[in-house]
Amino acid sequence: MSMGIPEIEDASCLLCFGYNGADSHPIVARRIVRGKQKGMKIICVDPRVTETARISDIHMQLKGGSNLALVNAMANVIWNEGMTDDAFITEHTKGFDDFLKVIEKYTPEYAEKICQVPAETIRQAARMYAKSRPAMILYGMGVCQFSQAVDVVKGLANLALMTGNFGGPSMGIGPVRGQNNVQGACDMGALPNSYPGYQSVTDPAARKKFEEAWGVALPDKVGCPITHVPHRILHETDEKKKIHAYYIFGEDPAQSDPDLAEVREALDKCDFVVMQDIYMNKTGLHADVILPATAWGEHDGVYTCADRGFQRIRKAVEPKGNVKPDWQIISEISTAMGYPMHYNNTEEIWNEMIDLCPDFAGATYEKMEKYGSVQWPCRDKSMEDRGTPYLHKNGIFATKDHRALFYGTDWHPPLEMENDEYPMTLSTVREVGHYSVRTMTGNCRMLRNLEDEPGWVQMNPQDCRRLHLSKGELVKILSKRGYCITRCLPTERVKPGATYMTYQWWVGACNELTTAYLDPISNTPEYKYCACRVEKIDDQDWAERHVKELYAEIRTQLGISAEKEARS
Amino acid sequence: MALDQVQTTCPYCGAGCQIMFHVDREKNQIVEAVPAMGRTNEGTLCLKGHYGWDYLNDPQLLTKRLRNPMIRKGGKKSPLVEVSWEEAISYVAEKLTEIKEKYGPDAIMGTGSARGAGNEANYLMQKFMRACVGTNNVDHCARI
Amino acid sequence: MNCFVKGNPDLCIGCRTCMIGCVVAHEGKHIFQVDPDSCSFNPRLHVVKTASLSVPVQCKHCENPACMAVCGEGAIYRKDGRVLISEETCIGCKACMEACPFGAITMDTAAGKLQADGSERKVAVKCDLCSNLPGGPACVRVCPTQALELVTRDDLENSAGQKRARAARAALSLQQKNQKCEV
Repeated sequence: MSMGIPEIEDASCLLCFGYNGADSHPIVARRIVRGKQKGMKIICVDPRVTETARISDIHMQLKGGSNLALVNAMANVIWNEGMTDDAFITEHTKGFDDFLKVIEKYTPEYAEKICQVPAETIRQAARMYAKSRPAMILYGMGVCQFSQAVDVVKGLANLALMTGNFGGPSMGIGPVRGQNNVQGACDMGALPNSYPGYQSVTDPAARKKFEEAWGVALPDKVGCPITHVPHRILHETDEKKKIHAYYIFGEDPAQSDPDLAEVREALDKCDFVVMQDIYMNKTGLHADVILPATAWGEHDGVYTCADRGFQRIRKAVEPKGNVKPDWQIISEISTAMGYPMHYNNTEEIWNEMIDLCPDFAGATYEKMEKYGSVQWPCRDKSMEDRGTPYLHKNGIFATKDHRALFYGTDWHPPLEMENDEYPMTLSTVREVGHYSVRTMTGNCRMLRNLEDEPGWVQMNPQDCRRLHLSKGELVKILSKRGYCITRCLPTERVKPGATYMTYQWWVGACNELTTAYLDPISNTPEYKYCACRVEKIDDQDWAERHVKELYAEIRTQLGISAEKEARS
Repeated sequence: MALDQVQTTCPYCGAGCQIMFHVDREKNQIVEAVPAMGRTNEGTLCLKGHYGWDYLNDPQLLTKRLRNPMIRKGGKKSPLVEVSWEEAISYVAEKLTEIKEKYGPDAIMGTGSARGAGNEANYLMQKFMRACVGTNNVDHCARI
Repeated sequence: MNCFVKGNPDLCIGCRTCMIGCVVAHEGKHIFQVDPDSCSFNPRLHVVKTASLSVPVQCKHCENPACMAVCGEGAIYRKDGRVLISEETCIGCKACMEACPFGAITMDTAAGKLQADGSERKVAVKCDLCSNLPGGPACVRVCPTQALELVTRDDLENSAGQKRARAARAALSLQQKNQKCEV
């Protein structure tokens, strides 16, 4: 995020795009609610009536998969109605003229047909955003989980650039990172193209620095993105590119990744799969080796939150059993393979890391201890450098000439459209009380009691009537890749023809249905759009029994003892 | 009974909320989690922050905590067998070395973790993949 | 006048932290240590979501409670500005559930109490404003967006006073406007 989370409530206008804070980050949604109370205008773009849509001034309930057409149309209005910040464009950007050529055809009337949002509403929204200052954009997975995702992110950045909404507090654009430490894993270089601190593996100077620090020659080729792994195991013909070993650390691809049937096949065909985790999970059923690690609450370290804040995590209880902290397990494997790693604690690792990353160099444990949170960039170790609340101060961007680049692209539809056999669409969303694949929250009493298997499919009441479905009834939902069973939840908050499911259930596993189509730049799958069909199950007694049996069977597979099973 | 207080960062979303645990050291158990005054949460927590910690007591509702290293000694589909850490570490090291020698370092893929592990473990994982294995094949679920 | 907890749909984000807070308040902190299947999960308030509304709904602690009027066993009584149900006296007839215009009463298992034949006792339960807790209602305390508030007699009287003042000002300005028209 270019801004800090506390700044949200002081924006004059918030464009909330494909971001449902109430379900994904309630404590960020709290800032949106507070902003509204302080008089902030809210424009919400979402195919569902989210909690933010409910309190918004303008809700554009667009058709799923039409994001870029809407963004380009807003840019079109801002330009045609003379609402651009020309001084900012001249002084701090380039590429504006080429961008104008792309957005020329995206009149609100043109976009109306694609997005199903009235042209006049698009005009009003563009005016509200462009005339407010500071105006902020927050976006979430409703932007990123499409085959056209990066283009939309750039499209949103274009809106902020053309209105001069960068470089001050409560403005800019913010991807609100979903998981607690997604930002941190990126910061630390768990990416195929960059070392820690966003230093490129293809930059010879950066490579030289890390080679000297680590005392070994490093590869200069960008590595394999995680979403290419099933293909690289199953279908790669070039022996040099084929993946034979997969070391999976703190992830559960057999639950979280799209097209689960393909993922399972890949894990079974991979010569050697190592899983390092805290709980037995679906991936563990396919692993050759399982390494048990300490959990949150049992080890020390640092997380980076969504607005670049480094914050400490601390050990609260002693771990039980024969488990080790992740960093220790990795060090021991590395040492056994002839590359010794010896650390006594996480602070030693942290200090090695920050000295290699100019943007993090000043973020010491001492500062985190004293200030609680340090937002990077923090370049100086002196206690005066307390980090950076918002980025691009005074319109200075992190490019060579410090200018931001406009980048216009044309909209294209999602890759798997509705058809006669699969006439509805499926988008995956989040369940507020569960996290990720739910190995943690599913093992918490209260959260388990609030929501449990097989989850829900949200559908418009009109579709429910057509299919003779009522609330709570078990239904079968299918795509051409697979199917699962879940409960029907009729709600006026979704549009006819669209369905929504949350992705952490085993029985109601919506990723059996999703597609592995990727955005070509980010390699993110199109979780937010695939074609599906919902079928009524006539024998509800059988379905209830089936769901119960299936749930019990998976739990038994994952090691819940028979005695425990009998009791529950 | 005096309870210790330990402040930490919530592990459930990117909001970075601060939680104060009240810990019973004798029983080695968390008794309660209360909101702390963090920069982003200002003394508030959501349901996961308030009630998302008792998995640490291993209630075995959904799955079982892993307590020992395990290996499938008879190959795929064979049962997992508990082994010592020494055996598990040397087995992983041998297999990865064998695959690296046979197919080259790019035949090995590793992941970081965007979840509970923390930054230091992620730093070491990518360092391991790059410096020890010799590949840039490291990625995590940011794109998932 | 009785107190009650009121939800504000302008602030509610539908997260249901309040529902869990309610369960924990009534079951006790020990639930995090004991067998997960040994305690019940029965929130005494419910977050309702419609097309345009999200808000928690619970007992209003009415001044003339319909539940109390229909209870044949005298299990529902008033105490310290609250309407309460006696678990000991309740026979589980569900008349109160039917009578309550807010759907605020549910049936739950009475903890640790069994009937003569050894089966569990089911009794009517509803919001008791956390009469057992020193910090006041748990739902109000745990809500991350301050969407719930405890409304007391003083709050209601202050609010009524303010509304009367506003009404008086409106009447005055209307009178002035009318006078101008007449001129």
